Amino acid sequence: MANKNNNTVQSSHKKKYARFIPLYIMALPGLLYLFINNFMPMPGLVLAFKKYNASKGIWGSDWIGFKNFKYLFATQDAFVITRNTILYNVAFIIIGTISSIAVAIILSELHHRIKNFYQSVILLPFMISMVIVSYLAFGFLSTDNGFINNSILKPLGIEPVSWYREKNYWPFILVFINTWKGIGYSCIIYLAAIIGFDRSVYESSAIDGATKWQQITKITLPLLKPTIIMLTLLAVGRIFYSDFGLFYQVPQNQGALFPVTNTIDTYVYRGLIQLGDISMTAAAGLYQSVVGFVLVISVNLIVRKIEPENALF
Amino acid sequence: MKKIMAVIICCTMLTTMLTGCGGSSSKDKVGATQTQTGEATATVGASDTSDISDPAAKAIADRKAEAEKTGKYKKVVLSFFTWTGAPAGLDRINTLLKTYTEEKLGLDVELSIQDVAAYQQNAKLMLSSGEQMDIFTTCTLSYTNSASTGYCLDLEQDNLLQDYGQGIINAIKPEYINACRIGSKLYGVPGLKDYTISTAAIIIANEYLDAIGYDYNAADPDNKGTVKADWKLIDDLFAQMHAEFPDKYVYSTQDNILSQGSSVDPIGGDFFGSLLDTVNSLKVENTFESSIYYDWCNRMYQWNQAGYISPDALTDTTGASARIKSGACMAMMACSKPGYKTQISGECGRPVTVFQVGEDVLKSSAVSSFPWCINQNTEDKVATVQVLNAFYEDPYLSNLLVWGEEGKDYVETSDGHIDFPEGVDANNAEYYTTMLWLMPNYFISHVWNGDPLDVYEQTAAFNDNAAKSKALGFTWDNSDYSSEFTALTNVYDEYAPSLAYGFVDPKEGIPEFVDQLKSAGLEDYIAAKQKALDDWAAENSVK
Repeated sequence: MANKNNNTVQSSHKKKYARFIPLYIMALPGLLYLFINNFMPMPGLVLAFKKYNASKGIWGSDWIGFKNFKYLFATQDAFVITRNTILYNVAFIIIGTISSIAVAIILSELHHRIKNFYQSVILLPFMISMVIVSYLAFGFLSTDNGFINNSILKPLGIEPVSWYREKNYWPFILVFINTWKGIGYSCIIYLAAIIGFDRSVYESSAIDGATKWQQITKITLPLLKPTIIMLTLLAVGRIFYSDFGLFYQVPQNQGALFPVTNTIDTYVYRGLIQLGDISMTAAAGLYQSVVGFVLVISVNLIVRKIEPENALF
Repeated sequence: MKKIMAVIICCTMLTTMLTGCGGSSSKDKVGATQTQTGEATATVGASDTSDISDPAAKAIADRKAEAEKTGKYKKVVLSFFTWTGAPAGLDRINTLLKTYTEEKLGLDVELSIQDVAAYQQNAKLMLSSGEQMDIFTTCTLSYTNSASTGYCLDLEQDNLLQDYGQGIINAIKPEYINACRIGSKLYGVPGLKDYTISTAAIIIANEYLDAIGYDYNAADPDNKGTVKADWKLIDDLFAQMHAEFPDKYVYSTQDNILSQGSSVDPIGGDFFGSLLDTVNSLKVENTFESSIYYDWCNRMYQWNQAGYISPDALTDTTGASARIKSGACMAMMACSKPGYKTQISGECGRPVTVFQVGEDVLKSSAVSSFPWCINQNTEDKVATVQVLNAFYEDPYLSNLLVWGEEGKDYVETSDGHIDFPEGVDANNAEYYTTMLWLMPNYFISHVWNGDPLDVYEQTAAFNDNAAKSKALGFTWDNSDYSSEFTALTNVYDEYAPSLAYGFVDPKEGIPEFVDQLKSAGLEDYIAAKQKALDDWAAENSVK
């Protein structure tokens, strides 16, 4: 009797997993790529603690402890680049989330065919390479022939601004460009979540006399909370990384703007393109990953304390 | 049913992905059958090479015998860059090269040419990842850095240079070969070129001089190629040109006021601590506090205020001569040498006059700034050294590398020069690298039309007669100070271009710049350089 029961339990388990086999096969190429690209090179992280010599190879090179990390911490630039990286990412997370949700809510209210057109147009900047964006920006900001200096400031009688030499405008310019470029892509996830909500809640609230704004703040946003927390958590994990194209190409690699556009990634690139030091670059990558990892775990712990169901793990 | 279809489709997708990998192996099989047929028709030659005593000749004979047996020649790749990337005619040149070197060296030599930005970024990666790059130029890569990271082969290991590189030893003066030593090991050999430079040469396109009525032919009656001038004359000419052509910018900028515009010597490979009087003194000083730097920044500031420089100069990354070629600018500054007028006229796409304002100097790093090196991981060290050697002593190879194919890329003129063939010019030429100064030995190749036939002898004399730096031969590995160097480079990138292009008044700009350099560790860096220089001077008995 017990045997029969066990057999049925076991075979129903097998049947359950058998159903997912096609999914596993579909995921196999992606998993294989992830393994080869992300997990197999991991032992190479030892390079961050070695002085790489091509004739000795990675494993034969000498250990030098933390010397490769010195240039990231012991110089006057260390504070500037860390501050820039973190502050820009915080601004991107806050402004990006608010604007993506706003656009997603607006798009979800459209029911005409025109919605597809708007969605494509909003998504278009995401598809454009950052190098092209940098030249689009140059078209606007060029001192001599730029659109802003010639067609906006000159008719108003204002002196032309040397955009690529004035630091103060660039935090706003970079946040604007990053938001404009990313909003189409990031609003897709929120849009998908919003469309998945049960419409009956909205209908009953309309019967009770709720305005559109009340519906948004009291129904949509609370329902979106898990999505927002998950995406913000993921973004916080990348808070020490920056979009290289945005901070190197868009300011046209101008030295005068370094105090506001130099991030960890661009600093490492500029310093090491001259030296070509592989170990120092590995040290920078390790630093960013370790900090990101610690941040994700700690923020997740905090979220778990406050709202247990919304934590990632 | 649906589940079965899904599984079948997934498996089909997987297999089609994997056939892409399988495709290359079938190609190899085809290649193998081709070489087998080749073998059948190979000439029967002497396969006994044991009686050849000269190691170089013996190595060649051994390889040729081996190639006859297997039908395959070992490949050696020589890698460098041009300003615009691989020329259209590269495959044609490589075919000619292959035929010639198979016969002469028993090897299949191939040229690999990239564009300068790609070369700078990819070269080190290619060297460390094992892609075939046997001989390479260290221009845009740091020679000392490449050697200390272990990319370069010690050329005197197992007597490689002595036995197989006699052509190199004969072509280059011993003092120039020794200038490339790091410690006492030789990791690269310099290309033969003009090591001396005539600093601060102002180049002005002739059509603008005609418009303001300046007679450049009268100024250079012996057709020496340069007109001796001073800053007063240049300021005068610029003012007239600016008045005559208000819609063009007078001066085309580049970041070379120290490297090409002055005789300040970037001892050890950078300007963070340099020799201000390289011929007479071994004192390493702060370049940016010197009066030379102040004078130059002030001059640029005056020119910028006068409107000679484009407001977008900082963001413009096109080459200085390219701006003259396009007609946007009228003049530029660089350094000069015998035969420079022809070279720069070609780059600017129009005839120019070269005004010589500075003096001639041979800086310490001039010889060792970008030697030709051999990859530490090269498969057959003897073969690679012999290839490099051949480019230094064989006029046919040098001509092929430098000028291209005779008849298609150049033709001989009646007076012994060479020039473009009918219908070919600088814009549509298939192989016209304009990288003469990078080549191993262009002294044994033809002379392009426009230069005197003895220009190569003139250049050699130019090298020997110039005021030589006391520190010639000194190299410095800065890897112990890499974090200071990174910080200093960042400060330089932030302040120096605005000063060098005249956007900032040097009276305020330079003190701020110097303060930032000092807090980035400039004084420690200079002290370290000075110590290394003093040690080298004591070792080599240089006073």
